[in-house]
Amino acid sequence: MDYRKVLKDKRRIVVKIGTSSLSYPNGRMNFHSIEKLAYVLSVLRRRGMQIILVTSGAIGVGSGRLGLTKRPKELAKKQALAAVGQADLIKIYQKFFEAYNQIVAQVLLTKDVIAIPLRNQNARSTLLRLLEMDIIPIINENDTIATYEIEIGDNDTLSAIVATLIEADLLVILSDIDGLYSADPRMENKAEIIHSVFEITPELEQLASGTGSSFSTGGMVTKISAARLCLKHGIDCLITNGNDPSILFEVLEGKEVVTHFVAKKENLIDHV
Amino acid sequence: MRKKTIVVRIEISTLLDRKGKLSREKLDRLAMVITNLHNSGKHILVVSSGAIVLGAEKLKTQHFIDDQIGMQALAAVGQAELIRWYQRSFDEYSQIIAQVLLTSDIISYPVRVENTRNTFNMLLDMSIIPIINENDPVSTSDIEYDDNYPLALIVAEISNADFIVIKLETNGKYLIIQRGHNKGIIVDGETELQQKIDSYYHVMVHGEELEHAQFPKSIGDISFEQG
Repeated sequence: MDYRKVLKDKRRIVVKIGTSSLSYPNGRMNFHSIEKLAYVLSVLRRRGMQIILVTSGAIGVGSGRLGLTKRPKELAKKQALAAVGQADLIKIYQKFFEAYNQIVAQVLLTKDVIAIPLRNQNARSTLLRLLEMDIIPIINENDTIATYEIEIGDNDTLSAIVATLIEADLLVILSDIDGLYSADPRMENKAEIIHSVFEITPELEQLASGTGSSFSTGGMVTKISAARLCLKHGIDCLITNGNDPSILFEVLEGKEVVTHFVAKKENLIDHV
Repeated sequence: MRKKTIVVRIEISTLLDRKGKLSREKLDRLAMVITNLHNSGKHILVVSSGAIVLGAEKLKTQHFIDDQIGMQALAAVGQAELIRWYQRSFDEYSQIIAQVLLTSDIISYPVRVENTRNTFNMLLDMSIIPIINENDPVSTSDIEYDDNYPLALIVAEISNADFIVIKLETNGKYLIIQRGHNKGIIVDGETELQQKIDSYYHVMVHGEELEHAQFPKSIGDISFEQG
């Protein structure tokens, strides 16, 4: 059976885009890429899908704004740059989405949104209401008050948390590689993309720890743990290359080459 | 010497035109006044409401909303608008701003307070003005329609501010509240605002109780006189 067929029926989709897909290797914003993303997501929304975008990039945009050439190491500086950059980032999204008559909303979350039940309920209700109103929520981590979070992995985990929070049908992680490879593609010519994953085994994790992106902080490890969280909640998860966001059209038709983590519906556990 | 730190509290109602829409002119003027105060050597943090109002404006009357969750949704739409407008106006005066969203329960999380304080200090050191608002979409407390004084108070505590300045409805009028005083002074015009704050300077430096001095707990506790 081709498991990719199930993708055609997905209705509520969380799309996560990483810094590497939003910017050039020199750290400056890639407006072309963002514009395409806005186009694709607006079209999907109009086709009747509910779209939630989880974005990274605030620190990068903030650095650009202030003319810094290096990504800062100090936590307080990262947080300050995130506060500058998030304002710019949401403005840029607004601008591009507006061109397609699509209203967006900004929601900044901390990962403990899951741990605090009342806040969980509020965030969930707000997001669901926004979707009902045909608005695309754009989510990022609230870096200013976050502590350790900013250090770990480029919002992959946050995107999986959001997917479980709103009981999404699918999480699509747009990355700078085509998917999970059977070996490190930079080292071995025979490396092939693993198309379907039904279970995250120790071997798979081993494989993931070898491949990583140099630009984003996450690499493959955090993507695998995001996929694991999704599978646990019966949510399918895709990892694919986000260099050209219009790949999403192909992906959702089940056409394009990606790594698909296939959720077993019968093992679905209750929503927390 | 430590720079004076001022929390400027803005209610969106003071920035609306007669039709209830955000007045670009008023916001520009405000950005000028604040930037100028900043340029004169003070640390400024702005606490501004307006996300819900601008969210409603953005969505026009497509949706009738009168419930808590609906307000939170409007706030998520409107905050993006609000910060965009602030950015545009401050850009006119070459001033970089940052967006900081807090929930008022932050006070119960010492680590977050510490992080936020570090972020504020870093921003102020970098000559950036933080524009702060309640993180309404995830807030668990009732959305207070247009009273952000409690948030201004929290920000004043986190940043060890010396003053809270409140923009009043009447154009050009501000209420200055000094830490440790329940009496505020109303000033008319930017020059007077600046002069008053400068003249308070020495009083503050010599005040031994500065560390323990508090701001009035609610806006109702403030009595005021014309400056």
